[in-house]
Amino acid sequence: MEHLDPKPTGGKIFTPPILGMLLVFAVCAYFLILRYANGIGTVTNLTDHMSWGIWKVIGVIVGAALVCGGYACAFTVYVFNGWKYHRFVRPAILLSLLGYSFAGLSLAYDVGRYWGLFNFFIPKYWQGNSVLFEVAICVMSYILILSIEVGPSILEKFFSPEKADNLAAKLHAFLNKVLFLTLGFGVVLPTMHQSGLGGLALVMGEKISPLWQTPFVSLLHLISCIAMGYGCVIATEVLFANNYKDKDQMNLLGQFANLMKIFVVVFLALRWIEIIRAGGVGLAFDFGSGYLDAYSFWIEMLLFLVGLYFVWSKSAQSSAKNIFFGGWLIMLGGSLYRINVYIIGFHPEAGVSYFPSLPELIISIGMVCLQIAIFITIVKLFPIITKK
Amino acid sequence: MKTKRRSFLKGLLGVGAGAAVVPMVANTATASGNKEPSDNHMGMFYDATLCIGCKACEVACKKANDLKPEYGNYDIGGINNLDSTIWDAPGDLSVNTINIIKLYQEGETHSFIKKQCMHCVDANCVSGCPTTALIKQDNGAVTWEEDACVGCRYCQMDCPFNIPKFEFNHYYGKIVKCQLCADNGLLDKNRTACTDVCPSKAVIFGKLKDLKAEAHHRLAADPARYNGQVYGDTEGGGLGVIYLSKVPFEKLGLPKLKNFSYAAVSEGVQHTLYKGMIAPIVAYAVIVFAAFKTLSKNKENH
Ligand code: SF4
Ligand code: SF4
Ligand code: SF4
Repeated sequence: MEHLDPKPTGGKIFTPPILGMLLVFAVCAYFLILRYANGIGTVTNLTDHMSWGIWKVIGVIVGAALVCGGYACAFTVYVFNGWKYHRFVRPAILLSLLGYSFAGLSLAYDVGRYWGLFNFFIPKYWQGNSVLFEVAICVMSYILILSIEVGPSILEKFFSPEKADNLAAKLHAFLNKVLFLTLGFGVVLPTMHQSGLGGLALVMGEKISPLWQTPFVSLLHLISCIAMGYGCVIATEVLFANNYKDKDQMNLLGQFANLMKIFVVVFLALRWIEIIRAGGVGLAFDFGSGYLDAYSFWIEMLLFLVGLYFVWSKSAQSSAKNIFFGGWLIMLGGSLYRINVYIIGFHPEAGVSYFPSLPELIISIGMVCLQIAIFITIVKLFPIITKK
Repeated sequence: MKTKRRSFLKGLLGVGAGAAVVPMVANTATASGNKEPSDNHMGMFYDATLCIGCKACEVACKKANDLKPEYGNYDIGGINNLDSTIWDAPGDLSVNTINIIKLYQEGETHSFIKKQCMHCVDANCVSGCPTTALIKQDNGAVTWEEDACVGCRYCQMDCPFNIPKFEFNHYYGKIVKCQLCADNGLLDKNRTACTDVCPSKAVIFGKLKDLKAEAHHRLAADPARYNGQVYGDTEGGGLGVIYLSKVPFEKLGLPKLKNFSYAAVSEGVQHTLYKGMIAPIVAYAVIVFAAFKTLSKNKENH
C-alpha cells in the first residue's frame, strides 16, 4: 500500500449549500432566543408527562451515537492493531468532536435551569448513583480528549515539515507523543457513556414498553452505537473521499461494512432474545393499541434488516453504493431504536403522546445544519481527509 | 507475535463482555432486597373508603405552599362556569397543584383518590437526579432543592407516578412537587397541611411504621371493606404514602408496580460496573498498552 497523507480538499467556502444551511441556522437562532426569553414550553410540545423530546433524545442520545465513528475507529485501529484503517481516523474524530460538542449544546438549551450545569463541576452536587451524572461527566471529558486528538490536524496547517520549529510544530510533536495516553480515554469514555445513554432507561422501569425495556438496554445501546459508528465512517468517506480508482479505500471500507454487519447481527439477536424473555412478542403485533409501538418497532427492524441486506455478502461489501446505503440504513435504524426507547415506547400514562412542534424541529435541524457546515469548511481548510 | 497479541486481546474482550453482562443478570435476580424505611421516616396514610371528597386538603395545601389557583372550564350543576375565575378547579396535578382529590366512578361504585408525591423509600427521582437536587431526608420526605437542580427533567421521566412538574412556561422554571410540607416548616412541627384539615381522618400523618401497622390492622379488622392490599407496602420497593381502598388500586390510577424499585436495579448495574472505578482503569491501562505498541510499531514502519 502506498503511503498517503491527509490534505485539505480546498475549494470555495461559501457555496450555495453552505449558505442555505446557515440560513436555516439563522431561523433556528431566532427560536432559540424565544426559548431563552420565555421558557421551553413556548417553543416545544413538551409536557410534564412527555418531558424528554427531540432535543434530548435526538440532539443528545441519537446525536452522540451517530458520530461514534471516532470511537469505532479508535477501537479498530489502535486496539485491534488495524493500522491499515488509519486514514479513516481523522475525519471520524473530527466528526465526533463536532457531534459531541453539539450534543452538549443541545443539552444546554434543553435543560430548564442552565446555570445549574455548573453544578457538574461542584463536588457537593455530584451524585455518583445517577446514570445521567456519569454520562454528563464522561461526555464532557470525551470532548476534551477529542479536542486533543483533533489538535494535530489543525496545527499542521501552521507549519511545514521542513521548517518545523515554531510553537505549532512543538505542540504538534508533544500531542503526538501523548497520543497513546488519550487513546485509552478515547475508548473507555465512549464505552462508559454510550452504554450510559442506554442505562438512563433502566430507572424508568415499566414506563417503557417491554419491546424496548430490558436489563440489557445499556449493552444494546453500546453494541448498536459501534455499528452506527462504522456506518458513519463509511458514509462520510464515500461522500467526501470517494474515488473509484482508489481500490485500497474501497477494500478497507468493505471490511468496515463487514464489522458493522457483525455488530448489527449481535444487536438483533440480543434484542430478540430480550423481547421474547420479556414477553413482548405480542406487543410487536398489537397494531390496534392506539400507540405507534408496533409500527415503529417494525420500521426499526426493517431499517436494520434492509441495511444488513445491503452489506451481507462479500461482493456487496465491495460496492460503494451498497455500503453507503447499508451504512445509512444502519445509522437510521440505530437512531429509530433510540427514539423508540425514549419517546415512542415511553408510556407514562394512558393516552399521552408527543410530537415535536415546528420551532422545536427547526432548532434541531438548524443545529445539524450548522454542524455540517462547520465540518465541510474545516475539511476544506485543514488536512483531514486522505484521498488519492 | 501478531496472532498471539490478537488472541490475547480477544480473550480480554470476552472477559470484559462477560464481566459486563453477569452482574446485570445477577442484579435483576437479587433486586428483591429492598431498602427498609427507617424508624424516623414520617409518612401519610390515605384510606379511600373514608374520604368524602370535600377537597379541604387541596385548599389547605395550596394555602400552606402559596400556590396559585387554577380556574377550570367546568359546567357544574347547570351553572355554566366556562373560564370561571370564581373557584380553584384543577383537573390534574400541575405546577400549581401538588395535591389533588379525584373521583373515580363506574356504575354504582365510586371512590375518591388523593394524589401527591409518594415519598418513595428508594425513590427513582432521587437515584436519577444528576446533581443531588432531590434528596431523601432522614425524616422520610423526598425534597427538591432549587440551587442544585439543572432542570434536566430526568425526575419527570423516571417517577413511576409522574409527580414532579416543571414550569415549562417560565424562562428559568422550577420543579414543583409535594415536599411533605418540609419547605413551609410544618413537617418540623410534625404536621402536614393536608392531614391537619381532613374532617373525616381519611388521610393521616405519622411515623410510617405506625401508619403501616394501622393500615394492616384496619385491613384485618374489616376485610370486606377493602380490596385486600395495602398499596405502598412493597410497590416500587415501598412508599412513604400508603393507601387502602375498596376499588382496585389500578382503577384509581395507582399503577401496578413491581415489588422492587427500579432505582435499585439501575444503581446495582452502575455499582457493579464502576465499583472503585477498577474496571474502567484496567480497561484504560490495557488499551493504552495496546495503542502504545500499535503506534510505536507503525512509527518504525514509516
Ligand atoms: S413519587 Fe415520584 S417524585 Fe415522589 S418520591 Fe417517588 S419517585 Fe420521587
Ligand atoms: S430536573 Fe432537577 S430535580 Fe429533576 S432530575 Fe433534573 S436536576 Fe434533578
Ligand atoms: S404533605 Fe403538604 S405539600 Fe404534600 S400534599 Fe400534603 S399539604 Fe401538600
